[in-house]
Amino acid sequence: MQTNSNQKRSSNIDLSKMRKAFSFKPLALGVASVLLSACSGGKEEAVVFKNVNDCADALPGMAQKCEAAYKGALAEAAKTAPKYNSKNDCEYEFGRNQCQTYNSNGSSIFMPLMAGYMIGNLMSPRPYYQPMFTSYSRYSSYRNNWVGADGRNFGDSRRSKLSVSPSAFDKKPAITRTISRGGFGSSVRAKASWGSRSSGKGWGG
Amino acid sequence: MLRLPIDARKNWQQMARDYGFHFHTMHGQAYWDETAYYQFTLEQIEKDLESPTEEIHQMCLHVVDLVSKSEERLTQFAIPSDYWQAIADSWQAKEPSLYSRLDLVYDGRSPAKLLENNADTPTSLYESGFWQWLWLENNVDNNQLNKRADQFNSLQEKLVNRFKVIADYYGISYLHFACCKDTDEDRGTVQYLQDCAKEAGVDDYFVYIEDIGLAESGELTDLQDQIMSHCFKLYPWEFMQREEFGPHALKANTGWIEPIWKSILSNKALLPLLWQEFKGHPNLLPAFFESDMASMNALSDVKKWVKKPFYSREGANIDILENGKMSLSSDGPYGEEGFIYQAHTPLPKFADNYTLIGSWLVDDEAAGISVREDKSAITQDLSRYMPHIIL
Repeated sequence: MQTNSNQKRSSNIDLSKMRKAFSFKPLALGVASVLLSACSGGKEEAVVFKNVNDCADALPGMAQKCEAAYKGALAEAAKTAPKYNSKNDCEYEFGRNQCQTYNSNGSSIFMPLMAGYMIGNLMSPRPYYQPMFTSYSRYSSYRNNWVGADGRNFGDSRRSKLSVSPSAFDKKPAITRTISRGGFGSSVRAKASWGSRSSGKGWGG
Repeated sequence: MLRLPIDARKNWQQMARDYGFHFHTMHGQAYWDETAYYQFTLEQIEKDLESPTEEIHQMCLHVVDLVSKSEERLTQFAIPSDYWQAIADSWQAKEPSLYSRLDLVYDGRSPAKLLENNADTPTSLYESGFWQWLWLENNVDNNQLNKRADQFNSLQEKLVNRFKVIADYYGISYLHFACCKDTDEDRGTVQYLQDCAKEAGVDDYFVYIEDIGLAESGELTDLQDQIMSHCFKLYPWEFMQREEFGPHALKANTGWIEPIWKSILSNKALLPLLWQEFKGHPNLLPAFFESDMASMNALSDVKKWVKKPFYSREGANIDILENGKMSLSSDGPYGEEGFIYQAHTPLPKFADNYTLIGSWLVDDEAAGISVREDKSAITQDLSRYMPHIIL
């Protein structure tokens, strides 16, 4: 369409990015976003190594980068790996002897051992990295697959070369143990008893 | 400023489904209404709405500065004392704000008058920033509207840019988003903001307000036990400040959007303070605290006053006082914290509808308008949203 020289509106809105059915369940939202990122293309190469030696063998002359990325991934694993209240729960998902204790404010919780680390953007001075986990449990859908801290499945763990979307290297929130929930929302429950606000309208203004 | 009829796009409901606009009809009544639209001149937009919006915002920030430094004022605003220091700190640190919506009475001729400032949890964002934009685009393409038709609406691109600024300020690459359960409208608004954040390169995580958890380390967590280091909340500060996790909202060191200093602006005690500081400003209506009846009575030319609770949304608990008598009132759950009185100014009428302008700000820049219509003189949550053009 024709545009004014002093137009008062956004000149360009990407419709394709807005075409999306809202879903009101977080799980389904996750599915939608995976599908979306799948169509946006832009894959990049990444390599998974089981340890520093693996990495240094494969990448001669890059031992220092291998070491730095490994340490970074370990620290990231402690922060972002899924945490479990009991060793049993953790081993149910990741397999026997695949879990370690994690000390959180004096009490012990459990998280999977880092099984490897994924490196991307290898040629840059600061490659990206991300901790990777795998499961040996026959009860788990992650069995023999590479899995990220947020549960993203990267496929067969015998493969080391992966093609991933750039978001695979995004920083993730740290995981901790929650001791209580439901401390927000009571005002809404109190005020919702008034009127016919049972559906649709919200608490914004 | 004209109200003009137009044919609704034949496929708009299907498009609404495709784009995820699920709250266009609420309680069995139309909320989005495209059987008519409002037309403004560029001069009306620029002189009467855009500039005053930014000026009013600056006056509001002046009041924030004043109130955040005064225990007496904070008490008068009914803000719990546990939060005073946090408000002062957040204001001093200039914690970044995302957006606001000013509700204005405007008839196309007289100066726009500020009714209130929705500074903390404004909704109708998606339909303003995206959906009415799409309506214009479609109708221009279909030759239903003049090719030169424009719209005052840079909301989406300003929101995306603002998310970049906020991410830089906090040094973050991801952000949590939260709203209450069981409301399509709030969830839709937040999803839209998540989309804008993603567009800005910020990863988004969602949690319902009711599901937010407290970690043993004192941080707040989402349902996946992920620490919420920064969070956009479509949930009023005045609620949070009175709830069990309220103190943790501060102790957890979560960076909040909107920041806590905005609890001064979303409070209707703002209105008498604005009048005190900028008495006679063409975009302000006389307003007083309940305790200041003497000043109200001294303004003998004002015959009608509107009594509003400090905290209320969408026209709830509003009374109109005429010659000392209540003439029209709306029900609602608000009012326990106190009331203010604001001089009544009638909403303009267009074809039997009372019309209210919502004027958007992203940070401190005017970013567009929304038009709401109601059959009743108090705009309630069932008022209809109408698109607009500039020609």
